[in-house]
Amino acid sequence: MTKEDKKFFNQSLAEWKLFIYNRITKSWGLILLFQLVCYGFLAAFFSFTMWTMLQTLNDEVLKYHDQIPSPGLTVFPKPVLALNFSFSLSDSESCQGIDCIAKSASTAVLSTYPPNEKIDLKYFPYYGKKLHGSYLQPLVAIQLSFGSDADIKEAMVECKIDGSPNLKTQNDHDKFLGRVTFKITMHA
Amino acid sequence: MLTQTREVAAEPEEGGAGLKTHLPRANVVPLLLFQKREVYSVELSGIKDIEKTDKEDGKEKSRGLKNKCLERKKNHQKEELKKELDMDDHKLSKEELETKYGTNIITETPEIIKFLKQMVGGFSILLWIGAILCWIAYGIQYSHDQSSSLDNVYLGSVLALVVILTGVFAYYQEAKSTNIMSSFQKMIPQASVYLGSVLALVVILTGVFAYYQEAKSTNIMSTLVIRDSEKKTIPADQLVMGDIVEIKGGDQVPADVRLLSTQGCKVDNSSVTGESEPQARSCEFTHESPLETKNIAFFSTTCLEGTATAMVINTGDRTIIGQIASLASRVEDSKTPIAIEIEHFVHIVAGVAVSIGIIFFIIAVSMKYHVLDSIIFLIGIIVANVPEGLLATVTVTLSLTAKRMAKKNCLVKNLEAVETLGSTSIICSDKTGTLTQNRMTVAHLWFDHQIFVADTSENHSNQVFDQSSATWASLSKIITLCNRAEFRPGQESIPIMKKIVVGDASETALLKFSEVMLGNVMDIRKRNRKLSIHETEDPDDKRFLMVMKGAPERILEKCSTIMVNGQEQPLDSSTAEAFHTAYMELGGIGERVLGFCHLYLPTDEFPETYSFDVETMNFPTSNFCFVGLLSMIDPPRSTVPDAVTKCRSAGIKVIMVTGDHPITAKAIAKSVGIISANSETVEDIAKRLNLPVEQVNKQDAKAAVVTGMELKDMSPEQLDEILANHSEIVFARTSPQQKLIIVEGCQRQDAVVAVTGDGVNDSPALKKADIGIAMGIAGSDAARNAADMVLLDDNFASIVTGVEEGRLIFDNLKKTIAYTLTKNIAELCPFLIYIIAGLPLPIGTITILFIDLGTDIIPSIALAYEKAESDIMNRKPRHKKKDRLVNAPLALYSYLHIGLMQALGAFITYFTVYAQHGFLPSTILNLRVEWENDNVNDLEDSYGQEWTRYQRKYLEWTGYTAFFVSIMIQQIADLIIRKTRRNSIFQQGLFRNKIIWVGIASQIIIALILSYGLGSIQALNFTMIRPQYWFVAVPHAVLIWVYDEVRKLFIRLFPGSWWDKNMYY
Repeated sequence: MTKEDKKFFNQSLAEWKLFIYNRITKSWGLILLFQLVCYGFLAAFFSFTMWTMLQTLNDEVLKYHDQIPSPGLTVFPKPVLALNFSFSLSDSESCQGIDCIAKSASTAVLSTYPPNEKIDLKYFPYYGKKLHGSYLQPLVAIQLSFGSDADIKEAMVECKIDGSPNLKTQNDHDKFLGRVTFKITMHA
Repeated sequence: MLTQTREVAAEPEEGGAGLKTHLPRANVVPLLLFQKREVYSVELSGIKDIEKTDKEDGKEKSRGLKNKCLERKKNHQKEELKKELDMDDHKLSKEELETKYGTNIITETPEIIKFLKQMVGGFSILLWIGAILCWIAYGIQYSHDQSSSLDNVYLGSVLALVVILTGVFAYYQEAKSTNIMSSFQKMIPQASVYLGSVLALVVILTGVFAYYQEAKSTNIMSTLVIRDSEKKTIPADQLVMGDIVEIKGGDQVPADVRLLSTQGCKVDNSSVTGESEPQARSCEFTHESPLETKNIAFFSTTCLEGTATAMVINTGDRTIIGQIASLASRVEDSKTPIAIEIEHFVHIVAGVAVSIGIIFFIIAVSMKYHVLDSIIFLIGIIVANVPEGLLATVTVTLSLTAKRMAKKNCLVKNLEAVETLGSTSIICSDKTGTLTQNRMTVAHLWFDHQIFVADTSENHSNQVFDQSSATWASLSKIITLCNRAEFRPGQESIPIMKKIVVGDASETALLKFSEVMLGNVMDIRKRNRKLSIHETEDPDDKRFLMVMKGAPERILEKCSTIMVNGQEQPLDSSTAEAFHTAYMELGGIGERVLGFCHLYLPTDEFPETYSFDVETMNFPTSNFCFVGLLSMIDPPRSTVPDAVTKCRSAGIKVIMVTGDHPITAKAIAKSVGIISANSETVEDIAKRLNLPVEQVNKQDAKAAVVTGMELKDMSPEQLDEILANHSEIVFARTSPQQKLIIVEGCQRQDAVVAVTGDGVNDSPALKKADIGIAMGIAGSDAARNAADMVLLDDNFASIVTGVEEGRLIFDNLKKTIAYTLTKNIAELCPFLIYIIAGLPLPIGTITILFIDLGTDIIPSIALAYEKAESDIMNRKPRHKKKDRLVNAPLALYSYLHIGLMQALGAFITYFTVYAQHGFLPSTILNLRVEWENDNVNDLEDSYGQEWTRYQRKYLEWTGYTAFFVSIMIQQIADLIIRKTRRNSIFQQGLFRNKIIWVGIASQIIIALILSYGLGSIQALNFTMIRPQYWFVAVPHAVLIWVYDEVRKLFIRLFPGSWWDKNMYY
């Protein structure tokens, strides 16, 4: 191989390298560009459909109420352990509810506030926080008093919404739909 | 594999040789038994003592067979003495004898193992892991809190059930296609293709059970055996070596036996050797090869007539048939191309599933999720990633194609072979029966110094040659009279060419020929009494006519005159010259030539009352009058040339492998186009250029004719060279063993090889081939068992239609897989978003299973009915290693383009459902912990409503259902776009494949049932969603369709471009 040949060979090799390099970079560049365009477009499309969907919503009025047909009940303060309250005698705090009866055979005497167990109609229905900004949730307080001679100072309390046939309280799956059950234990 | 095959091929030979030396000496049964054992123990090691001998022999084995035999004999004599003393066979009970010598049962792969294989293959392992993780998760939950929900137990059980049911289904499909063989021509029953309901599964389970029971109780034949010095009938599977059995006409030979005495015994060996003629059996040793010798009868062959007493020399797996059966099961491991492709695909999907699973497990743990939660995420990711229904779909798709092929006379035994045929690049075809009609047929006649062409088509109807010459009258008379073949009675209504004839191939050809030409041959024969020397039918002509046929040169020797135009002329050198030219010409095109002559005996010498005597030959045997020549060939089937052309254009090389003479082979190869009209062999070129063969440039010759003798002396490299350099190859005078060498040579070229065969000897080659094709009519049982496919009509053209179906199914499987993979992203993304963004879970694991095993099943099967986009027979066969079933473009396009679009479409629905019920997208971000807390029963939404846990759960299920419906709606779009890979849907026709619409309807109906019918069942997590949620994802569905049309348009516009390479799958 003469010098010139070698030179030519080297040159062509370099050309090839450049060509391949170009091809690869070009191809990668194209892929990146394509991905960019593709995903950019997808993102735009998604944002557009999302935006359209949000436009159909009303800030003030909820579209569908059917998932919460009846109000649920819960206990406040939030129990530490699932719906068990224990108190010691030295502590003199009280709790809240609606239409409550002592379930288990117990010696406890139950009293509530408001005393007639009625809640004013102004609480119902609730129109959402935008329209009904000053809404306050109805509360019922209950008081349990155990007889001093009772051996077991423990009571199951069930509170239920009463008075309207439309309000559901008997859902087997939902233990908080229109009712709540909890246990109170008094330690000596 | 090769060595295995060779060993087995050699085994019977050794056994046979051994028999020859040992058996005649043996006249006492126990001694004989023992010796027999010795002979066979070389391979079979049945007995401990013998094993010892063998071990001693071991070192000497290398010294060569002869040496070894001598050594063994010496050794043996010493041992013999010892062992005869050691013998305790006389003390054993019959049961013990049976255990010692083995019973006569051919072992098969137990059904239960086949069944279990289906349970652990493919994705099953992944799902088992999922199921076990579920149970572990429940275990952990339970140990923390006794009252924890059983959801994980259910999910685990469902996953296990999925694995078991798909396993049962795959097993059932396999069993069904294997079962076709027993009820040979029966097609796959129509039922249970559209399964999906529990009912169908029950049917399948019962079917499997019934099949299993059926398989267990295979037909047991009984046999007459001499035991305890009396004749007893026992089941054949209780025979042991050394038993003396009696066989009579009609019996099946109960084991491999050595005949001791025979009376006119004939057996039908077609199941072993493929010979269709009955073979006479006697006690004489007539041939070195045990397959050829007359004193051996084989297990499973039938004794046609006569009786024989024989000794059992091989039972069960050790019989020739048994060895082939076990050989067949040993060679089985080689994977079919489609199995490799599916494995490749499973690896890809499993790889994606496992890596995403592990990555997100780590992410989840590092995001301070509880380990238990992380495990549950992992399960979800696995379930979302694994296309549970796909393997069942593939099985159904393959069996549908198998059914379609069966209608076209290709009976597929092994479902996967359906596709193998499509990727075939070389077909090694037999000649006789496959390329040809397998019957000798008169092709040419020569009389009056002229060659006439006879019609050789299948029905012979069009005989156009000049029949006015008086010579033809004489010739036809000889053809008719000088023939011992006869039609079987009672075939009046059958066309002449299909009638069954008693007689050899040539005489049959002549009989049929004359029947076609002259009409009622039997009648003519009746009118011309006696064979070969006949009274004539002309009442005025009292002369006897003596007719003769035979090899032309021998006939000519006996002639002194020749008939030209009805006139006898003296036979001079110029007419002899003309005869030779015609003879050479006909012989040169590979035809079998016969000469015909006759002689009218003068009445004065041979009056009407003359009595001929064959013994004393009291009649003339020379000075006949030569009438003409007639040549016969086994003509090609009329459909074959077209089929070969089709193979050519489909890039498939057709190689002829035949035991026939090279000249005949070449002639047939030329007439069917295996050697095309203008191509030459090296020999042809040498002849044309007048050069010695060595000087011809081998590159110039397209064609090659290689004989078995040449092949024997060839090194593998030389064979490779021939296979690579010549496009048109004929192997002639080859033995079945050489077929194996040829197949291996082809496979070295990286080709997918299809091989046809019929005899037992072909079964190694059939096994070795990527797809072995046995002949349904001419084939032996062993060949059919070894093959992957059976040609019901023995016709080569059927292979080509099979190839077409195979290629179509490969394309359609791509579509099915692409369709199935797409939704995996839409199933996977919810889990990823759930982990990272803390949204309430968009879709549940059970719901995913309802997509994979419910709505998606029938549509993905429907894609199997899609027609080809272009002429698939005009492209090259796919390259085993380059053209993958699941390639990068397919995976990327399905996962990252269409899959992502689907995911986004489904998420739009998800957000819509949540927003319309009170939870705006901004609110649900990172809500997961509170959302899933059972003690939070007053979770406030964007509108200030408070939700109890159960209300949230119900909303979550509504979300699941809506997400599910969205995926289903977009899968409809996905299904439509998958109809084609290159053409526009509108080119393909939206309504041409009706099954697609059945699929779409099924998707919608199943979704309707799940949402509105089963919406009240808690465990399934479906709710009745508002009708408008069905349409939220429609814009995305339309986008998918439009996007794919654009993709296809660019592919068509810019073939070979960057786009084409990256976007065409």
